[in-house]
Amino acid sequence: MIRRAQCLLRLHGNGGHSLVSRLRCYATDEGNPKQNPNPNPRAQKPGTKNLPALRNPFTAAQDRTKNSYLTMVEIFQERDVHRRNHVEFIYAALKNMADFGVERDLEVYKALINVMPKGKFIPTNMFQAEFMHYPKQQQCIIDLLEQMEDCGVMPDHEMEAMLLNVFGRQGHPLRKYWRMMYWMPKFKNLSPWPLPDPVPDDTLEMAKLALERMCTVDLRSKITVFETSELKDAIDDTWIVSGMSPEQEKLLREHSRQKALYIEGPFHIWLRNRRINYFTLRADADSEFLSQLDERQLDEDDVSHIEVPFFGRAPPRRHNQLGKLRSVHQQDDGTIMAICATGTSTKDSLLSWIRLLEANGNPSIGEVPVLFRFTSEVPAKAEEIEGGASVPATSDNSSQDEHNSSRAK
Amino acid sequence: MNSLLRQGLRLGCCLPAVQQQIHTTAVHRTFWEREKKSGYKTKLPEPSKKQMIMDGLRDLKEEMKLWRQEVKEKFESDPILVFRPGETDVVFDFKAPDVLDKWTVTTDADHGEGKSTATLELSAAGAGLFHGEVNSNHTKDGIIKRTGYANIRTKRVRKSFKRESTYDWTQYNMLIMKVRGDGRSYLINLHTEGYFDLMWNDIYHYVLYTRGGPHWQIAKIPFSKFFLSSKGRVQDRQGAIPLNRVTHFGFSVAAKKGMDGPFGLEIDYVGLEFDPSHREEFAYEMYQTPKYIVAT
Repeated sequence: MIRRAQCLLRLHGNGGHSLVSRLRCYATDEGNPKQNPNPNPRAQKPGTKNLPALRNPFTAAQDRTKNSYLTMVEIFQERDVHRRNHVEFIYAALKNMADFGVERDLEVYKALINVMPKGKFIPTNMFQAEFMHYPKQQQCIIDLLEQMEDCGVMPDHEMEAMLLNVFGRQGHPLRKYWRMMYWMPKFKNLSPWPLPDPVPDDTLEMAKLALERMCTVDLRSKITVFETSELKDAIDDTWIVSGMSPEQEKLLREHSRQKALYIEGPFHIWLRNRRINYFTLRADADSEFLSQLDERQLDEDDVSHIEVPFFGRAPPRRHNQLGKLRSVHQQDDGTIMAICATGTSTKDSLLSWIRLLEANGNPSIGEVPVLFRFTSEVPAKAEEIEGGASVPATSDNSSQDEHNSSRAK
Repeated sequence: MNSLLRQGLRLGCCLPAVQQQIHTTAVHRTFWEREKKSGYKTKLPEPSKKQMIMDGLRDLKEEMKLWRQEVKEKFESDPILVFRPGETDVVFDFKAPDVLDKWTVTTDADHGEGKSTATLELSAAGAGLFHGEVNSNHTKDGIIKRTGYANIRTKRVRKSFKRESTYDWTQYNMLIMKVRGDGRSYLINLHTEGYFDLMWNDIYHYVLYTRGGPHWQIAKIPFSKFFLSSKGRVQDRQGAIPLNRVTHFGFSVAAKKGMDGPFGLEIDYVGLEFDPSHREEFAYEMYQTPKYIVAT
């Protein structure tokens, strides 16, 4: 049966349009064993009676665009009335979606569902409905819907109408569809940090988005885009996206001139499927200040020191006095002064960042020693690959080197 | 059918002895489950009898200690019975000693089904750092469709003498977590493992969106938002989480939609809170579904 279908296909395919001939088989990887006329592979001699290797039209396509994809689907539909092997065709089409860049396109999924014949698979009695009428076809469309789900493509009501026409109300693909339409809108806009979908390709735009997201911790944060060309002797010509809030500027002003600041990184942040490296300007935690805060936390359950309000005034306590409030940037493991992402993520661009910060309203950085602390394994890897030659001078895990920014000028 | 026969024959050529055992189609065992791991139980060599006796005696000491504690608590009879709005009770604290022993790390590589790696260790800040790399590439063996996950889970909560018990969180309605993530979204898993095989894989999920960046973030998630799923499938018949039957707690991360690569989630603590202003019991509306549609 299968073999005869393929013969028919070959007959159809041999004459005529080139695209049609490309479409003569859509069998996937396991196509070769299937077409073997002899069940015992050992008995078969190479070269004799061997049918030509069948090609998958989607892998053989020249231009991989949405249009050519849709054309192939259309040609399959119009080739004959029977649309034989449409399940295999849909599976092959699903598999090659990513190559054509159409995996997130609802229109394409609809076109594939449209390949299914209308009305033929609708069960007519309860036994058919109960025992999954046309199971291969139903499973095929369920797999298609699952691929949509994985790619985050939400179906629409037209698709429901199409599925109803193909499988009827009792169809399992419909159940899948209804579940998707129940849950997917609930989860679609759940993230408190919404992002464009798909995210932009430009790295500068991505860096801006990443910095904006990280700076939501302090609403007064400002994102500034610097160009290193503003500086006279910067080696790299690139951009720097820097995020800093007035509170951080104040912390930096009040930072002791004796204590070092650290530039640490690269850390990474994910925005959808894109990873962006960022660096932080951090100081060690002000332990004196933080311990002072702890003192103000009174244990209200402690009944050993109840003050009697009748005998004179209660002595003023520390927590009644005016004091400094803890900023969100003063964390237990350090004070975050600023964050940035640069176009090259090199040490030179970070040095430029410090100098640009100094020039733009933070003169105190010039008086504080700034240390680089790189945690990247990229230079080590690069050294491995390039054999130790011509590697940019970024240090690895252990090394730290000091750049007094005033000296570097 | 033709091709199936042929495949069977082909296999028969090379392995005549095992021909009968090989299934070329997927086997759906939906009737009952033999064991809780659903076929993923690794058979470990059983220790010798002597070793078992020695281990048992060693464990006995610890178990007696636990039991003494339990009896003491029973006589003291000082449970927390009051709703205390706004107070966070920490359940899983990563600052506590030997906290890492309470967690199990699993990835898809454990059963040779993927290439993800993950570890849970203490970070420089003294918190728990769940990090590694998720990878969605796998050997195309025709059985596994998708891979790429890493997961941490607490061990089953138990009483003395290895008796299984559950957490009772009915007083609370919020899950509080102090975390520092990398912008990825993580899955929070609350296992409510039941007695029957149908309920062995009951897990309530919700998403933990992390901001990323160097700052800590406190996530406050109402329990009413959690939805039921089993073996990764969101269930049709939903309901609010039974907070007195929570057995495990965990986080998952997946390499979905091309998010292959390193991940890192730093967890300071996971706590519970009662927020009187939150009145919602279950966040998802429940429609009456047509007959014979649910769970098919």
